[in-house]
Amino acid sequence: MRAAWTIALKDLRQRLRDRSAYIIGIGAPLGLALIFGFVFGPLQEEYEYSATVVVVDLDGGPVSELFIEGTLAQLPDVEVQRAATVEAATEMVAGDPNPLSQDSDKADAAFVFPPNFSADVQSERPVEIQVIGNRQSQTAAGLAASLAEGYASELSSVRVAVATVEELVGAEVDRLATGVAILQTESPATLVDITTDTKQLDAVTYYAAGMAIFFLFFTVQFGVTSILRERADGTLGRLVAAPIGKSSIVAGKAISAFLLGLISSAVLVVATNYAVDAKWGEPLGVAALVLAGVIAAIGVMALVSAFAKTVEQALALSSGVAIVLGFLGGTFVDVSGGQGFLATLRYASPHAWFMQGLADLTTGDVSVVVVPVLVMLAFGVIAGALSLTGMRRGLQP
Amino acid sequence: MRAFSIAAMELKRFARVRNNIFQVLVLPLLIVLLIGAQAGGGVDPRVGVYTAEETALTSDLIDGLRAIGGMEIFEVGSRDAVVRQVERGQLEAGLIIPDDYSADLQAGVTVDLEFVSTASLGFEGLGGGIDAVVTQQASLVRAAQFAQAAGVGTFDDAFAAAEGWQASLPPVEVTTSLAGEESDYENYGQFDSGSHTQLVLFTFLTTLGGAAAIIQARRLGVARRMLASPASVRDVILGEGLGRFAIAFMQGAVIMLATWALFQVNWGSPLGAVVILIVFSAVAAGAAMLLGALVSNEDQANSLTGLLGLGLAALGGAMIPLAAFKYLSETVWRVAHVTPHAWALEAFEELVGRSGGLADIAGFLAILGAYAVVLFVLATWRLRAVLTH
Repeated sequence: MRAAWTIALKDLRQRLRDRSAYIIGIGAPLGLALIFGFVFGPLQEEYEYSATVVVVDLDGGPVSELFIEGTLAQLPDVEVQRAATVEAATEMVAGDPNPLSQDSDKADAAFVFPPNFSADVQSERPVEIQVIGNRQSQTAAGLAASLAEGYASELSSVRVAVATVEELVGAEVDRLATGVAILQTESPATLVDITTDTKQLDAVTYYAAGMAIFFLFFTVQFGVTSILRERADGTLGRLVAAPIGKSSIVAGKAISAFLLGLISSAVLVVATNYAVDAKWGEPLGVAALVLAGVIAAIGVMALVSAFAKTVEQALALSSGVAIVLGFLGGTFVDVSGGQGFLATLRYASPHAWFMQGLADLTTGDVSVVVVPVLVMLAFGVIAGALSLTGMRRGLQP
Repeated sequence: MRAFSIAAMELKRFARVRNNIFQVLVLPLLIVLLIGAQAGGGVDPRVGVYTAEETALTSDLIDGLRAIGGMEIFEVGSRDAVVRQVERGQLEAGLIIPDDYSADLQAGVTVDLEFVSTASLGFEGLGGGIDAVVTQQASLVRAAQFAQAAGVGTFDDAFAAAEGWQASLPPVEVTTSLAGEESDYENYGQFDSGSHTQLVLFTFLTTLGGAAAIIQARRLGVARRMLASPASVRDVILGEGLGRFAIAFMQGAVIMLATWALFQVNWGSPLGAVVILIVFSAVAAGAAMLLGALVSNEDQANSLTGLLGLGLAALGGAMIPLAAFKYLSETVWRVAHVTPHAWALEAFEELVGRSGGLADIAGFLAILGAYAVVLFVLATWRLRAVLTH
């Protein structure tokens, strides 16, 4: 065991002297987590509709005014302009939607209230609000349309309520006053989005975790290929000739890979927590998942390397496997939402279990990581045991 | 001519390694396939609904959801099951109708229906459709509650009357029209934008990986031996560059052809697509040369390849679409255009989305060309120093 430690510490010292260890273990995943954080961060933020809209109020009545002054003016980041004609408004909307273009006097969408809109709403005649969007920025058009639709459905609702009251009373009532009174009542049923309360990782945490587990496989690569490296350098013969058991050599390599994986993961978890506000969750659960992830990575990479004859082959083969497993496990693209096939196949990748464990951990209940941890340990132990048969052959100098 | 023989030798060295073939030709196709299957075009999103009761109100609500179309509605046994299935990706969204929904509404108690959707996928549109159905029912209830509170009738009478009016009164309509230049996203099929982004991502990533080969040529003394031959420094650098360029172009061409043949991916005008590929391959080859000149060890080159190849792709819109950046953050959108990836993707969008031709993408090509020139000049300058050191 002492010999194993000596070998492990030797390997670790050797590795830490090489700048590439830091690049692959910390620099690359942290750099990518920062980039993903920058790119995906805005996805996180509560989306606020910010736009310039133009209104053509050909009605000038109380009902169109209520939308302009009530609904639109209430939106914090919406600038409301007015145009006299539909043509003028269309021209403002039709400009280049590129946010960098310097076109002044442009609008993201236009709302048109036809003449007699307010009167028609209080009648039984058909009535419509017109929305004009830019063909090239259909998101802005869609957002404007949904604002108009929200108001239109309120008006439809009021119209139905007023008609109902009139039917029950058996006489005409003051439609505008009744309508306003109805608008002031609370809607009896509302839809509440509870998505943020669910066990799903936010985008920034998702990619920070994805990069950490993805690069972990490359970090432990050095340890598991170092027997081949020692052979290429001619030092394996000397190790075997020394009075140490072969199992100590293998254990030494495994320990150095384990320590490297653990150190780089720990640095990543802490760094992304502060740098991009990644929310890893309950420390105990994260620690268990990271430990199991390191063991799975060592086992899988050792098994793949056992098939190789040279360091180059081992690196190429294991990199290929790490990339495929990483993609399959959804470290780059979330594959959990796919159709049956892929969503099931991903469980063949330890990466998927790591991500699943973290996602479940968002509830704060540490016990949920037990299954992912056990599965990852099984990956590591089974693959590691299988690799030993190949490794033993590899220990011939 | 010597440059060509050096390039040919580079290609031979490349083709001898089986793993290169896998990484350059097989892996990108596999991933395009994965992403295509993921995007799952043509499959309706699945929406789970949980309700504890079966009343006229709840069944009207569910019928209303079914009537929207464009989504598959499933009834799920419990609230937790809805949430869990959304978390696990078995449903894209869920609607949870609270217990005592009908009784509460009749008693004038306001209720909240819960909506849950997959956090990482953009199904915001689903929420809108479901919200409209909920609002429609709420408006009937509101009419009934108002009439009841005003003392003009009972809840049930008023509700029945409101239902009649909702059916007969024309609703306040919203018509949407679009102005401005044509942008035909209808041209995009299931695999299209995934293939465009993967082409850009992988061509750059694997070509950048060639930096390690340049370092190897330096380390093994191949470069010095070439310089001892009548080949000039220029020949050697040009030859290396051509080799990198040829590999990049081949990879891109394989992705284009294979995705076109297998998944009928639309690449727009063939001439335009090939020219984009040529110029972008030159950018990637230039970047590989520069990295190969700046870094002195293959391990470092490989890690930097991963960082730059994936990082620039993420920034440049090869992971989430550029169009999304525009609305999310202008800063991100501006920074994206520091990468050559963004310009190449914009060029493909012009070709496919707006059915553009070579003339329409000339601006993008010029920008990409400038990247290639600058990278090659820098790389030549550094390599000349390193090789003749």
